[in-house]
Amino acid sequence: MGKTVLIVDDSNTMRKIVSRSLRQAGIDFEQILEAGDGQEALDVLAANKVDVVLSDINMPNMTGLEFLKAKSEDDAIKDIPVIMISTETGSDIIDEAKSYGAKGAIKKPFTPDLINETLGPLL
Amino acid sequence: MEFAKKIVKTTEEIFNTMIFMEVSADAPLEQGKRALGCHVSAMIGLTGGFSAMLGIHCPETVGLAISGAMLGMEIEEVDADVKDALGEIANMVAGGLKERFAAENIGLELAIPTAISGKSYTIASSPRSNRVIIPFSIEQGQFFIEMKYNLN
Repeated sequence: MGKTVLIVDDSNTMRKIVSRSLRQAGIDFEQILEAGDGQEALDVLAANKVDVVLSDINMPNMTGLEFLKAKSEDDAIKDIPVIMISTETGSDIIDEAKSYGAKGAIKKPFTPDLINETLGPLL
Repeated sequence: MEFAKKIVKTTEEIFNTMIFMEVSADAPLEQGKRALGCHVSAMIGLTGGFSAMLGIHCPETVGLAISGAMLGMEIEEVDADVKDALGEIANMVAGGLKERFAAENIGLELAIPTAISGKSYTIASSPRSNRVIIPFSIEQGQFFIEMKYNLN
């Protein structure tokens, strides 16, 4: 059965770029879901079976870190792996993200190869 | 603090890595009032070790070309997608600057980018602000990355 990825970013452009980069990296998802902020991401996870999440950090309404914290407190979704994709990849932010369960981080701008290296081991 | 050098390196990295367009930087413009003749701009604020506003300003044809390359589709008018794409470039340039200044122990925080478009607009800031404007050239024409900053 094919896998499903959720891409979380407030930029429609960046969601499209991430989606295109997944194809260029040779990572074939059966379903690509999108959310525009952390709250939308929680709603998508509550309604769909998702295998992995790629999430921005700096978003309005609910940031990526707030999303991770809320997700970590929900037994139904806490084990879904999350990779952060952001311009915000300072060690403090990444350490905080990892404390809430993030499995890794990809800095924008990124290449398809970097996505493959980071995401591949989780699939 | 080499603002111009950091902006050029970061912008070239973004265009080479994610936009796949050849871009070349020209000499920074001199200080003073400037009419850039642009139709779409995206801006983002930075605070911390210094406060700044970073903007990317494009004529319509250049904005359409850049956003079309980012989205992988032809775009015919300045719409929400164009403003979103330029906002994301502003965000990535600011993120790159944040990383480069962090290496010099200058911490920065980023705001959320915003974008505007129109036939005639001006962007004002404190006359006491320092300013650097870098023209960049792509096949379709020139765009500008501007940084207005106040050292704390």
